[in-house]
Amino acid sequence: MTSNSRERLLGLFERMLLVRECELKLAELFSDGEVPGFIHLSVGQEAVAIGVMDALNDSDTIASNHRGHGHAIAKGVDLDSFFLEVMGKEEGICGGRGGSMHVADMSVGMLGANGIVGAGIPLAVGSALAHQVQQNNNIAVAFFGDGALAEGVLHESFNIASLWKLPILFVCENNGWSEFSPTSLQFVAEVRDLGKAFKIPFRQVDGNNITAVADASDEIVSDMRKNGGPRVLECMTKRVHGHYEGDQQKYRDADELASLGDYDPIMLCEGELRKMKAADKDITAIRNRIENRVSAAADVGRAGTLPSFDRLLSDVYTPVQEA
Amino acid sequence: MGEVRFGQAINLALDESLKNDPSVVVFGEDIARPGGPFGVTRGLLEKYGELRVRDTPISEATIVSAAVGAAMSGLKPVVEIMFMDFITIAMDGLVNQAAKARFMFGGQCSVPMVLRTPHGGGVNAGPQHSQCLEAWFAHVPGLKVVIPSNSGDAYGLLKAAIADPDPVIFVENKALYAVKGQMDDDAPALEIGKAHIARPGADVTVVSYGAAVNTALRAADTLAQSGIELEVIDLRSIQPWDEATVLASLSRTHRLIVLHEAVTAFGVGAEIAARMADVGFDELDAPIVRVGAPFMPVPFAASLEPQYLPDADDLIAAVHKVLA
Amino acid sequence: MPQISDLVMPKLGLTMTEGTISEWVVSPGDSFSSGDLVLVVETDKIANEIEAPADGTLHDVIVQVGETVPVGTVLARWDVGTAGTPEPVPVATPPSGPVAVNSGATSDVLDAKPASAISVDGARVIATPLARRIAGLEGVDLHKVSGTGPKGRIKAEDVRKAKQAAPVATERAIPIEHATSGTRLTPTTYQASVAKRLTEAKRDTPHFYLSTEADVGALLDIRKQLNAANADLRVSINHLILAAVGRTLADMPAANRIWSNGEIVQYETADVGIAVTTDAGLFAPVVRDIGASGLGHVATSAREIVSRARDGSLRPEDMQGGATTVSNAGMYDVTYMGSIISPGQSSILGVGSIRKTFRPDDNGLPVLCQEMGLVLSCDHRIFDGVGGLAFLNALKDYLETPFRLLA
Repeated sequence: MTSNSRERLLGLFERMLLVRECELKLAELFSDGEVPGFIHLSVGQEAVAIGVMDALNDSDTIASNHRGHGHAIAKGVDLDSFFLEVMGKEEGICGGRGGSMHVADMSVGMLGANGIVGAGIPLAVGSALAHQVQQNNNIAVAFFGDGALAEGVLHESFNIASLWKLPILFVCENNGWSEFSPTSLQFVAEVRDLGKAFKIPFRQVDGNNITAVADASDEIVSDMRKNGGPRVLECMTKRVHGHYEGDQQKYRDADELASLGDYDPIMLCEGELRKMKAADKDITAIRNRIENRVSAAADVGRAGTLPSFDRLLSDVYTPVQEA
Repeated sequence: MGEVRFGQAINLALDESLKNDPSVVVFGEDIARPGGPFGVTRGLLEKYGELRVRDTPISEATIVSAAVGAAMSGLKPVVEIMFMDFITIAMDGLVNQAAKARFMFGGQCSVPMVLRTPHGGGVNAGPQHSQCLEAWFAHVPGLKVVIPSNSGDAYGLLKAAIADPDPVIFVENKALYAVKGQMDDDAPALEIGKAHIARPGADVTVVSYGAAVNTALRAADTLAQSGIELEVIDLRSIQPWDEATVLASLSRTHRLIVLHEAVTAFGVGAEIAARMADVGFDELDAPIVRVGAPFMPVPFAASLEPQYLPDADDLIAAVHKVLA
Repeated sequence: MPQISDLVMPKLGLTMTEGTISEWVVSPGDSFSSGDLVLVVETDKIANEIEAPADGTLHDVIVQVGETVPVGTVLARWDVGTAGTPEPVPVATPPSGPVAVNSGATSDVLDAKPASAISVDGARVIATPLARRIAGLEGVDLHKVSGTGPKGRIKAEDVRKAKQAAPVATERAIPIEHATSGTRLTPTTYQASVAKRLTEAKRDTPHFYLSTEADVGALLDIRKQLNAANADLRVSINHLILAAVGRTLADMPAANRIWSNGEIVQYETADVGIAVTTDAGLFAPVVRDIGASGLGHVATSAREIVSRARDGSLRPEDMQGGATTVSNAGMYDVTYMGSIISPGQSSILGVGSIRKTFRPDDNGLPVLCQEMGLVLSCDHRIFDGVGGLAFLNALKDYLETPFRLLA
């Protein structure tokens, strides 16, 4: 145990905690009626977003899905802009046009969350194609859940990525649920076997273990930058909240729900940190810092202005002066 | 340059775009090594290499969505969907991704991609290889739809489409590929959204696009012999479409017919008719009439397809109706 | 799928502007075949049996029996064709023009387009948007414009023509004293129609009148000789006058013209109307092409058409055409009769009784003559004074030198 690895884990812990606090704050704002529409939270899956993103550069690109808050925050979307967007404000990262399911920030390579299951996967393929044509040594990452395994574009994308040796990392966040149904009742294959079928190197990790995810991602991404071609990383994780906020999850077994705390990546990480002799005050300081930061972002979100309808038509197409 | 076939004109526009802009890439089913099912992309692989000119697997959904992702990551992809009928499989990429990215991301990015695809009947290709589905895309905010009627326009409009920052569906009538047309050596890119008056005339305005423009011109020749002068407007693009030019023409002739090969019901003609009935109401001296295909799938048999396709006689009948 | 189409009041002649439904032969829900009798329309001239233009079913009746409506008014709606018969051609439209008339007719009737879709009580005017705009700009009252488009729709061109034809002077309302006493009688359809037509004719046609006397001694002699030679001939004075008018028209094409919707129509054949009084009212059927006919033919044709007028079997086309009419009141005691020109014609000849009178001969000695007073009413849009006189004098020549009618 070096102090380097402890510092690294403290950093990962802090970033996971940021995602967690944001999600919990959004749950609160949602139940208070301050978030319009509906939101899909990634509580319990923070280690995947933070662990994978730890291996990426700003110029790498990611395509996310409907459960994408963690991906956006981890990729570096400004927190105030993020809250403003999810709360439907003019100053939001997308001007209040997209909301939770469409948070994007081109400046940090976040090509967008997505409202269509599986739709981000071929977008990431295209982004990887751009990296390959531009020979810039960047990679693209597609985040998708196990529910997307049954979508046709996933299989097309695996095939094309392998065929063209595209620099794309397919990250399956396997939480066992396809919306309201167990994936075991929906999909017969294993991701491992898909990788094999399409001749893409595959790796599975404990998606609730931040160290495992971060280390695997580091190794995979370094290998990709050196040797090219696609990879598949399956992160086994748990969905704590419902498919969307307000989903009572009556379709889930009570014992399963009760056991979810045992898998909490943040709690596990904190235990790890204590084993590494991290100081209580450091952990408390992190907690306070994150709580204050998220609280401040939520306040900024509340203070944002409601978007004006006037400018909308001018953004359907690129205005002539920009063209 | 003189006479150039429609397909060749498209090839030239692709060639020059690949040459002048390293961010342009071309991919689709059988477009590289085989040179495309209609030979339109022949020679591009040899010139620009397999990094930028690629054959794809038969995966329309991913071809289109990958083009969107590539366009959001710095490329200008020009992809081909072999027959417009196959575009049904790629609707998510076009409708939910390409069309909306700019708007829903608050103007952060544009999606500078072109999707080329042939539509139209006349070659007995049957119900799943002959459809004209352009109205679907004209209905989606964020997409542009360009449909040339001749070689010169195909060249000028494709160059404009590739240079355009927004997603463009570029529709090529497959019956036109072998048709020769005049093309100037230094033909400029044309402006998308600007119609062309293909034939001036005082009596009836006929608005059309794509191969149907040629049908309108044939009917105009016939009618001119009996002293009826059609003004034929080639829209060149249906989204955006040139309302001003159509309205100005209607204000001269006071009679309007919209002609297209696509099914009449809920089609492009319906939009143009509705718009002109609104902004051009006081100019109308006759009902606006649409001429298009009947409400049925495109029939296959050699004896049936010609009856299905709107022709010059159908247009002439409509002209007599608005002149009654 | 059946297509619902309109059945409109047909225009059954050049001058017809309105018609009265006298019978619906078919009821709503009834099916009929092309050519079946559907309804009877009465005009001021005649009852017309209207046939179905195609197979179909009567949907609903809009104009009921006894109602008088303008040409082009939708009378009923009907389902064209039978269920399950789709329209084969995309641009084809269901028949929507006037229904066919049951008898062979002049091209005017066959091509008839409803003239107007306005009703006298100010109901909806059917006009294109452009026509409305032009009418607004030019101050043209669309109620006074005849539409030449489908279903009588007024088009821009119709407004422009109406504008050209319309007198510049504005109408001034003249206060009319309405009768306050007496018994009020509702005119019959026929009386109302005649009142309307003649009011229009007198108001819209600029009349002028020329009168003279013709010495008809020779005419009476030649009639007596002709009938003595051939008892079957039965030539009347009126037949001779008709023949004279026919010859004059043939000689002077300029008189064989009418004014129609701002245009001058030149007739090719010398067709002449005969005013006939019957129990049902006054009719003016037309004797055809008598510019070069022998007297026998004129007499036979005239007798035939007059007898049909009397027994009520005139056909619509019997009333069509002709630039002039002969109205002979000779059987009564009248010297001069100035008549109103029939709508759609450009002149009418009023013929008075034959009177004996002394006239000086070349030496100033009295000679007993038999004279007939003639008054020619002329439409000043077709005739100027000289033209009218030329016509009247030429006619008089024929009557005074009747052997020329035998040539």
